[in-house]
Amino acid sequence: MEASILQIALIFLVTFIAAIDQFDFLESLYQPIVTGAVVGLILGDLNTGLIVGGTYQLMTIGNMPIGGAQPPNAVIGGIMAAIFACSLNMEPNVAVAAAIPFALLGQYGVTLFFTVRAPLLEQFRAAAVKADPKAVTIWTVISEIILGLIFAFIVTLFFIGGQAFGQTVVEAIPEWVNTGLSAAGGMMRFVGFAILLKIMMNRDMWAFFFMGFGLACIIGAIESLATPALLILAFIGFGIAFWDFQQQTELKGALADGGDMEDGI
Amino acid sequence: MAFNEFVVPERYQDLTPGPQVDQATLNRMALRSCFLQSSFNYETMQSGGWLFAMLPGLEKVHANKNDLAASMYHNLDFINTHPFLVTFVMGIVLSLEQNKVDTQTIRAVRISAASPLGGIGDALFWLTLVPITAGITSNMAIQGNAIAPIIFLVVFNIAQFALRFGLMNWAYKLGTTAIDALTANMQAFTRAASIMGVFIVGCLTVTMGGTQINLTIPNGTSRSVTAHTVVVSNEEAANFTDLDGIDTETAEAGTLAMTDTEGNVLTAADADGNAVKTGVVDLGNGMSSVTYGEVTESPVEFSVADTLNTVLPKLVPLCLVLVLYYLFAKHNFTPIKGIVLLLILGLLGAGPFDLWPSIW
Repeated sequence: MEASILQIALIFLVTFIAAIDQFDFLESLYQPIVTGAVVGLILGDLNTGLIVGGTYQLMTIGNMPIGGAQPPNAVIGGIMAAIFACSLNMEPNVAVAAAIPFALLGQYGVTLFFTVRAPLLEQFRAAAVKADPKAVTIWTVISEIILGLIFAFIVTLFFIGGQAFGQTVVEAIPEWVNTGLSAAGGMMRFVGFAILLKIMMNRDMWAFFFMGFGLACIIGAIESLATPALLILAFIGFGIAFWDFQQQTELKGALADGGDMEDGI
Repeated sequence: MAFNEFVVPERYQDLTPGPQVDQATLNRMALRSCFLQSSFNYETMQSGGWLFAMLPGLEKVHANKNDLAASMYHNLDFINTHPFLVTFVMGIVLSLEQNKVDTQTIRAVRISAASPLGGIGDALFWLTLVPITAGITSNMAIQGNAIAPIIFLVVFNIAQFALRFGLMNWAYKLGTTAIDALTANMQAFTRAASIMGVFIVGCLTVTMGGTQINLTIPNGTSRSVTAHTVVVSNEEAANFTDLDGIDTETAEAGTLAMTDTEGNVLTAADADGNAVKTGVVDLGNGMSSVTYGEVTESPVEFSVADTLNTVLPKLVPLCLVLVLYYLFAKHNFTPIKGIVLLLILGLLGAGPFDLWPSIW
């Protein structure tokens, strides 16, 4: 099926919106069940789009972005599956399977993007130093547009170039660059942690840091507590902090009481 | 690249509590919270979007420009919470900002309140609401029902926005009523908040620290004799008994044998790892069950990760956090220097140009 300019433009637009929506905005427009139907409508086959979207959606239910993990990218995967089914007349299940490599590519892409986006923060810091709320808005918009454009360009290229093209792109990236950047991406959060520690830490606080570390190691080893782990840990941490708060204030209260007693005598 | 050295003061300059934030501003904040992850990155995660969402409120409570700058700057700290529950943290933090609480306290409260919400939100949304709504509507869609995506969107977004607006208002009220009791004991409160804060960062180092050295070092080979049992005719069984005896220490991998060089039967390990003796058992029907040994050689690898885990799980994340803390606190390293350092470390560790094996 030859795609018309209008169709290409619409696919570009849909991907642009879905790419932003996967992290922000309504955080539901990007779901394959929605994009499948929309892409189907654009390519003139709503019914196939609905079926592919539903099929892909069922597959992603066990594959949600839990705990900051990046699952295979549902935006690229869902849209590509619908494109394959509607324009290449693939069976819905086959189309979903054919879209998986693209979803994995998207997952890679998102990880890399989140890694290289860190320097953008300097712009926000500059805006903060100047107490300039407008600059924050501008950089927020720019940041979203970049994300949307990257996704839209990639998906449109795949839409025009087809499956073989996607494979070529994947193979052109040296593996060590991929592993290196995603390893760096995994470590960058430690910068955030270290800065928080720098702010809050003084000499008698280290014990609490290591206590949190130790307890988290124990809870981390219990698989069934993986999701509520931080909540449970927060309860424990809150208990300790609250106890400390009471100790400190009661101490103050006791001193005050002592003073009263002396006055009384 | 512009680089900004900025020290957040311990206290705001203007310490008179800011005016009560009106409903319209709270609504704007709740709407803006939809863009929490607009500048999501692996250094401070949602911080840019968090600041974007907080700004309407911050502008209302900080009339002093220097205070606004300080507040904006420290609101860019690392934060990672659930996008749909974030307004709860926003309401609490806004009430603290309004009452001009010490910056350190605000930062500690923010990270402590934000972090545990991730798990609750995941459980509520990704593990409950989405599977149920998407599960039902997907099946409708597969049957070609065009209303399915619309139902999904309506249900999901009603739940989402009810939470966003509800939590924003509730948390702000909660914060402003609790604040008086807390400010009476400000020093103790700051201390307690910091305790909870460093405790949570310790937890995050484990729960979010996935970095591991996955290097395996080849460490020679191990040699063993594997038992195979076959049933063959008696004539063919003779072929096995005629096999030369071998020295299991020197024979090449793949050599088949029944006996060692002195003619003693071999002891071999079967598929389950049990030791069995080689030999021929005549089954009496012209067939024999033959158990013979095959010399196998398997490479032994020394796993760095396993060794590190026996020392302490999550040792690598812990060391990285401590090293970075040391660089930031004692050597005035800037965040961007830390990022560059980690980028270099990541790429070097991956074995650039195949110069050495990847350690990741």
